[in-house]
Amino acid sequence: MTTETLANGKPYIHRTSAHCETGVTSALFRDKGVDISEPMIFGIGSGIFFGHLPFLKWTGLPVSTFRSLPGTVFSKAAKRLGAKVFRKRFRNPQKGMDELRRVIRTGQIVAVTTNVYWLSYFPRRYRFNFSGHNLIVLYETENGFRVSDPALLEYTVDCSTHDMERARFARGPMEARGLMYYPLSVNPNPDIRKACITGMLDSCKQMLKIPIPLFGVKGMRYLTKKIIKWPDKLGYVEACRQLAHIVRFQEEMGTGGAGFRYIFAAFLQEASELFESPELNELSNEMTAIGDIWREFAVVSARIIKQRGQAEETFAKAGGLMLICAGREEQLFRNLDKVVRKFKP
Amino acid sequence: MKINEVPQDDVPYFSEGIKKGNYALDDQGKYVMVPSKGWDVDEFINSLAFNEYEAKVEETRKAVLEGKKSPLAYYMELRQMIPEFLGKTAGIATFRVKRHLRPEIFAKLKEPVLDSYAKALSITREELKTVPHNSQER
Repeated sequence: MTTETLANGKPYIHRTSAHCETGVTSALFRDKGVDISEPMIFGIGSGIFFGHLPFLKWTGLPVSTFRSLPGTVFSKAAKRLGAKVFRKRFRNPQKGMDELRRVIRTGQIVAVTTNVYWLSYFPRRYRFNFSGHNLIVLYETENGFRVSDPALLEYTVDCSTHDMERARFARGPMEARGLMYYPLSVNPNPDIRKACITGMLDSCKQMLKIPIPLFGVKGMRYLTKKIIKWPDKLGYVEACRQLAHIVRFQEEMGTGGAGFRYIFAAFLQEASELFESPELNELSNEMTAIGDIWREFAVVSARIIKQRGQAEETFAKAGGLMLICAGREEQLFRNLDKVVRKFKP
Repeated sequence: MKINEVPQDDVPYFSEGIKKGNYALDDQGKYVMVPSKGWDVDEFINSLAFNEYEAKVEETRKAVLEGKKSPLAYYMELRQMIPEFLGKTAGIATFRVKRHLRPEIFAKLKEPVLDSYAKALSITREELKTVPHNSQER
């Protein structure tokens, strides 16, 4: 934990988080005097999701996401907690950098969306061309900015002006176009109960009721079928590459799989205290168990790729694990929906 | 996942000492934040993609030395770009970028064009004209 002093003399406390967007959002709210934890933001902003997007390619392979669309957690959480926000993209990099400088000079911390490749404080092997990493800019330094990257570091770090501009305005898939955001004003006593109920119901809807078979629980089942067929259809080497790609999305790039299930479980646990509901606590335990299966899926997948087809672990087994996750998550969100509908705000 | 199940594998060349946050259950069954040093599975999956990238860069470097591709192709690979995105960054049409990947056409490029490429790739104009002679210099 590090403490920094902002341009207007206000202190800022850096806390580690499990995911960039929720960590950043939680820090923005804390800065405005509303102490709200990262899992709470994740739950209220309905961050949990699943989607397989065969038409959206990243490094030539389809994207699978284990979270909602980047940016929605912040927007939804802010709306549900009654905050007014500033959120803007820029066409002109110079204007984008000027605006960032202007705002941080007033002592307001600003969240920006960046491309990981250009952030030189990242470990070399993390640096892939991926524009979806959120971090907080605290204040200007001599040749750059002081930034707080809650998802990656346990301390704050310097980032040069060059890095910042390249990272914010990198061209490529899902470009950030200099997106910057911060809350303008926050309701000092937000109705957390009501926000939680809205968030949980929205999560259930996202996971169960989108009538397209690529999203939510249906998406998991769709992907399972594909995984099982891959070795026959694509050949073993290519099938392994595709499987590795899914696991990368799951474990490595802020699109989190198991990690997100644990954050959601942590949220359910916090909510169960808030609503004094033992049912929510049971659901939290179930979510933890599902997270463990997702991790198992990653382990089995890695083993399949390592041994290159020499017995035991097969694509069918990996697919089977994902199918179990799909079944249990479907049941969990159905139960959650029933439990939440009984609550009164 | 319990606290003692949070992976703490030693993969210094991968995580470079950075710890990632994880939520895990403590003895009382309460969720707490536990930093993780690294995870073998994570490292393995990352290394597949990273090696693929390194191999591609190396292959392009050799092709440039053999005169089959222009140095622009090498730096484009190094920056993990494709002609479309390099073109957008440099403000040059994609079809022109693709032409400039051919050494004989690249050799005739005028300075302003080279400058916009150099700026887009964050290197100097001189660097853009050649590639490193062995794979270590980067």
